Amino acid sequence: MYERAQSEVRSDLRSAHEQVWQKIAQPGPFFSAEDRVAMVLEARQALLCTLCNKRKEALSPNAVDGEHDSVSELSKVLVDLIHRIRTDPARFTKTVFDAVTETHAKEEYVEIVSVVATSVIVDTFHRAIGLPVPRTLHPSHGAPHGQAEPKVVNEGAWVPLSSQEIQHPELGFRRAPNIMRSMGCVPEAVALFFTCFRNHYSMMGVPMALTQPQVEFIAARVSALNQCFY
Amino acid sequence: MLRASSKRENLNVDLNAVVDSSSDPGVEHGSILRALTEATIEMRWDELDEIRSQAFATLGEAATVDALAVASGFNGITRVADATGIPIDNYEDELGRNIRAETGIDDYHYRQKYERYG
Repeated sequence: MYERAQSEVRSDLRSAHEQVWQKIAQPGPFFSAEDRVAMVLEARQALLCTLCNKRKEALSPNAVDGEHDSVSELSKVLVDLIHRIRTDPARFTKTVFDAVTETHAKEEYVEIVSVVATSVIVDTFHRAIGLPVPRTLHPSHGAPHGQAEPKVVNEGAWVPLSSQEIQHPELGFRRAPNIMRSMGCVPEAVALFFTCFRNHYSMMGVPMALTQPQVEFIAARVSALNQCFY
Repeated sequence: MLRASSKRENLNVDLNAVVDSSSDPGVEHGSILRALTEATIEMRWDELDEIRSQAFATLGEAATVDALAVASGFNGITRVADATGIPIDNYEDELGRNIRAETGIDDYHYRQKYERYG
């Protein structure tokens, strides 16, 4: 990854991206490697999807019905979830969450969110430095491997959060912020996403050639552009 | 976080610049950082090529790539937040209380999105 980059990419960031890309192409706790790679391909396809484009133009995305332009064998409800996360996160509502969790466990939902959001980071960074998005890796064989019961609590999010007792002092927080706890019902989802993300944010102990206020300004501007409440 | 880090470095940052493109954010090289960020999130890749060249000259290569890395990272993490419906952290120190009062952030809730979009 990044062999053809014309700009120097930090080795920690390159290594993290290579690691998560390999991890996505391996079986997860609830989905096969084929499904996980398909999630990445669907997230990319969403940018070309006619239905997603129509929804973007509508006053409410939920006012427009239709079929997504899909490239995978994932179920319709999962394709809809992935396309919405990729193309219209600002107008993502609990209605979508409820529709998915009628037929899928919350843990499955969280695994999808993690894979898709991780792929968004990797793809966005590639395009931002002038590279095409990376090829997905050939998925490994094997069934989803499940997980041990994690320690979670219900604290007002749609999904159970990691217990506050689970601290991340290495990341420089007095206590774990909710975003770090948000995927706590699937520890591997937390690990996948934050293995990638931590190299994108200097609060997490990564040296950057930017001051902290510069970093925070960019972060805040992205949140505003994406209309993220959190 | 922007307010806290600016306070530590004695910078007079205008929080309105986060949502108002015409405001000077008050951070060093704020204009080019904003241009890089907006082109990245809005996927204006052709324009970004030009902006990136300008940024190399202004910020240097390492800082430009780091700025793009931060923007990319937050393009992912905002999706995690939106898809999991997590509440805003309730930091109860003085700075946290002041920011909550100043920004009116407690008035925001995911329910508003539901009421608006279904």
